[in-house]
Amino acid sequence: MKDAIITVEDLTGGYEDQIVLRGVSMEVMRGEVLVIVGKSGCGKSTIMRYLIGLLKPLSGRVLFEGDDLWGEPETLLRARRRWGVLFQSGALLGNLTVLENVMLPLREFTELTRPEMTDIAMSKLEMVGMIHAAYEKPMEISGGMQKRAALARAMALDPDVLFFDEPSAGLDPVTSAGLDQTILSVNRSLGTTLIVVTHELDSIFTISDRVVMLDPDEKGIIATGSARELSETSQDSRVSDFFGRRTGV
Amino acid sequence: MDPRIEVSGRTAAFHGKFAARDLREVTAALERIPFGDVTLDLSQCTSMDSAIAARVWSFYGNRKSRGRKVRFVGVSPDLDAVFDRFEEIDKIPPPFGSRKTLKYHFADIGDRVAESWDTVSGLFTFTALAFKALVSGKFRGSMTAYYMEQTGVMALPIVVTLNWLMGVVLGYQAGYQMSQFGAELFMPALLAYSICWEIGPMMTAVLVAGRSGSAFAAEIGTMKVRQEIDALQVMGFNLYGYVVTPKLIALFLVMPLLVTVANFAGMAGGLAAGGMFLDMPATVYLNEARKALIPFDLYWGIIKSVFYSAIIAVTGSYMGMRVRGGPAAVGKATTSAVVVSIFLVILVDALLSLVFVHLRPGLTL
Repeated sequence: MKDAIITVEDLTGGYEDQIVLRGVSMEVMRGEVLVIVGKSGCGKSTIMRYLIGLLKPLSGRVLFEGDDLWGEPETLLRARRRWGVLFQSGALLGNLTVLENVMLPLREFTELTRPEMTDIAMSKLEMVGMIHAAYEKPMEISGGMQKRAALARAMALDPDVLFFDEPSAGLDPVTSAGLDQTILSVNRSLGTTLIVVTHELDSIFTISDRVVMLDPDEKGIIATGSARELSETSQDSRVSDFFGRRTGV
Repeated sequence: MDPRIEVSGRTAAFHGKFAARDLREVTAALERIPFGDVTLDLSQCTSMDSAIAARVWSFYGNRKSRGRKVRFVGVSPDLDAVFDRFEEIDKIPPPFGSRKTLKYHFADIGDRVAESWDTVSGLFTFTALAFKALVSGKFRGSMTAYYMEQTGVMALPIVVTLNWLMGVVLGYQAGYQMSQFGAELFMPALLAYSICWEIGPMMTAVLVAGRSGSAFAAEIGTMKVRQEIDALQVMGFNLYGYVVTPKLIALFLVMPLLVTVANFAGMAGGLAAGGMFLDMPATVYLNEARKALIPFDLYWGIIKSVFYSAIIAVTGSYMGMRVRGGPAAVGKATTSAVVVSIFLVILVDALLSLVFVHLRPGLTL
């Protein structure tokens, strides 16, 4: 049986005076593709910010391999070096080329020589089909290409966990489907645990092993299971309404 | 057929189909109705869009608030539903602050004080963390060199030009006033003191705050908006070390040089003014200036520039890091960076002046 790589215990959090998540508990199993779904404003991106340690819980804990991210000061830093994050905008540094962006974590956290770093960065770019744009600046390539380059950067240190915040946002269906396949291949070939925040039904069905659904009124999880289970057997109208948007399933 | 409103006594009858383009006519017709209880006959009104319905409803609310009755006749079910919605909306209490009551103003003052305190305490924490990163972090040579070029080399023309002009203006004005008493020979000394002690370092700091402090805030603010800062943070980078330290080191290195150049440019301006307006030979000007100045005067500008560099780099970076939301917040951050930097530069200058009078040899109060 797979063990949990990330555990969320009774997490409550939000912004200023607004509680977005209340008493959320969940586990992410090693090697799985977990997709977090829900309506706009349900706290999908917020929970991800807690998982990656950008926000400190008001109460509750987020554990990475059993260690509280906010326990010892070094835990968060150690954990961050073992995961990669693909932000909604790609978040490539605009003053660096695509290759330099991918090399950035290697330069910061390894003692590799420049040719070695270039080899690794180029191989990651090849994995996402972006080797041809290695010397372009982010503003010179399309949104989909930026996301693939950002994925290569997220994979630079061979992370154990990859987080994706709305990877399909702003992409056309064909590019989005291509990105889904890239994401899947990363999981299948490297065994990386993937946590994906999205509301794109096609992506959910294509990539997910397990789905966690959040609801803005409950401020927490209302359903967990495979996409097929949730879409076909859930008695909860909020779940069936969400998945009911998909035709031909 | 065009819509029309027939006003007869205190009754207004609406005929036809009303849309937003008829708003002016509808308003004029409603204003023609004498004050008192009113009847609005809508039985011949085919339709009315939201803009006209809202204007009719506000007319109703206005008369009602002044104790008069407004009776609607022949309202269609659709329009009735619209008016019902308006009635429900009117019942929603306005959010706090939408009416500028005395309580609101007190709360507003409190909010601003709390916000200012947050800014100041945040700036102190940020400064401490930036210096910790400076001492313990990695040296990033290429980034530092880039910022040295941006903040130093690129600033050189404007720093030289403006300080030269300041020297000309000061030289001319001081020389003119002094010549009234036959004391124009003291102009070079006055200029040397004012430029090396104050004008050179201060003008340079103001220019660098305007050019580079704002650029730092805009750069970091944009990185925040584009989630680049988040990306660096989750990759495990020390943000202070990566984002702030190269700027800080760059300014530490270039500001003393800029101030030195500014001092020379200002003195050269005074030399030009002396020659042009006072017929003062260059040798006389230079001799008098040299007699007045001691090496401490030149070092003092450099000492002050180190403080100014820290203020400008840290404040610009801090304001950039505080950006929340969209591009508009970046604009606000750049403005705040310049205003707060210049304020702090002047404040620190005043404090350093108190120290200066005790430190400079030969200066007694």
